[in-house]
Amino acid sequence: MRLVIVDYGMGNIRSIISSLNYIGVSDVAVSSNYDILKASDKLILPGVGSFGKAMNRIKERNLDAYLHEFVIDYKKPILGICLGMQLMGKSSNEDGDNDGLGFVENSVRKFETTTFKIPHVGFNQVMVTEDSRLYSGLNANPDFYFTHSYRMMGEANINPSFCDYSEKFIASFEKDNIAGVQFHPELSQRNGLNLLKNFIDKF
Amino acid sequence: MLRKRIIFTLIYDHEYFMQSRNFRLQKVGNLTWLERNYKFQEIAFSLDELIVLDATKGKKSIEMFATTISKLVNDAFIPIAAGGGIRSVEDAELLFRSGADKIVLNSILLEDPVLVEVLVKTYGSQSIVASVDYKLNNGTEEVYIHDGSVKIEMELEGYLKYIESLNVGEIYLNSIDKDGTGFGYDFITINNIKDKINLPLIIAGGAGNEKHLIDGLKLSGVSAVATANLFNFIGDGLPIARKHIINSGENIANWDVNN
Repeated sequence: MRLVIVDYGMGNIRSIISSLNYIGVSDVAVSSNYDILKASDKLILPGVGSFGKAMNRIKERNLDAYLHEFVIDYKKPILGICLGMQLMGKSSNEDGDNDGLGFVENSVRKFETTTFKIPHVGFNQVMVTEDSRLYSGLNANPDFYFTHSYRMMGEANINPSFCDYSEKFIASFEKDNIAGVQFHPELSQRNGLNLLKNFIDKF
Repeated sequence: MLRKRIIFTLIYDHEYFMQSRNFRLQKVGNLTWLERNYKFQEIAFSLDELIVLDATKGKKSIEMFATTISKLVNDAFIPIAAGGGIRSVEDAELLFRSGADKIVLNSILLEDPVLVEVLVKTYGSQSIVASVDYKLNNGTEEVYIHDGSVKIEMELEGYLKYIESLNVGEIYLNSIDKDGTGFGYDFITINNIKDKINLPLIIAGGAGNEKHLIDGLKLSGVSAVATANLFNFIGDGLPIARKHIINSGENIANWDVNN
């Protein structure tokens, strides 16, 4: 099993690698190279930073076309983490209006609240659906570590889980070979390690 | 509901981890000792967050410190905040690249607020922890910088208000008097200031047992309780404490601590 973390120069990937190693995934590469991405069994799209900047870097490296080929045409399993999840959406209004990779139809918008502190930072509970693969075997309403100011909107057809912070928002989605989590599984203790293991085993 | 947090603070000095008491440091062991003898990876499963502070007296090497951070990432699957001696954007960048999720600032809050502003803009408020060390002197809460060695003009409350104006993400409030004593937090000061500041507040200094942690978590206006005491929570002290704290109904995250 070879897993490749998509490298577009943004995101703290050390913790992701150490979490994968901990659950027994030792063959982990970090790359933006077409052939290396193509030869992978699974992909992780990480991300910390802003949407517009990230999409620019992805386009500079032609990764939008590569990822479309592997994820949409070849159905290679992919997990988007935090900004990586948002990038798989249709668009975002962070740094002006920007198109995303468009793997799902959902768009990304900033939290609208005057009473809650934004960014939403810390461990919070996730309400999961029964037929989820990502949360298989985890306790009910597991806690995960979030740090974000934007969230994915809409729910159509992507088996979402939800978190409650000023409103109910999408904490994760899973659709065929594509999964995204708004939180950081690599910073979420056993819950996160178990979720990563589920992505490896069940996608 | 957003959870409160239990934080462990590792005090670092020249590749060794230290037990601090009133800011006097005693060498305990290096990273290998921490992993093998202290079983830090197991203990870390009881924590919500890790703070690592370079308290090396005199000249600090941020490169050596960053190397230790990059290794600690393999031991804890939680956010790591690192600091002590950050004096430039490059220092901060090095710590982030080494695996830190947040950075901890202290002396530059007072001495270089322009740099603090740049760091907040570059990495976001949520990545910046402001560390404040204080001690009581004739009923006055005096603030110290440079590892507790230099007293500043401002008193605690005014200083905390000033720090809020820097748009940092949270405040790590550490009592030098209680540091390493295990006698419990300085609740008099904490109760006095906790409702006067709007930033998330991490309290540190004095926690010696799980009751102290619970007492801290019970306070409204306190977001997190920290302990730097390597000896009081040795072995399965923290895993057991975490279970008790969850069972007592405190609002902290739940996962399988053992497994």
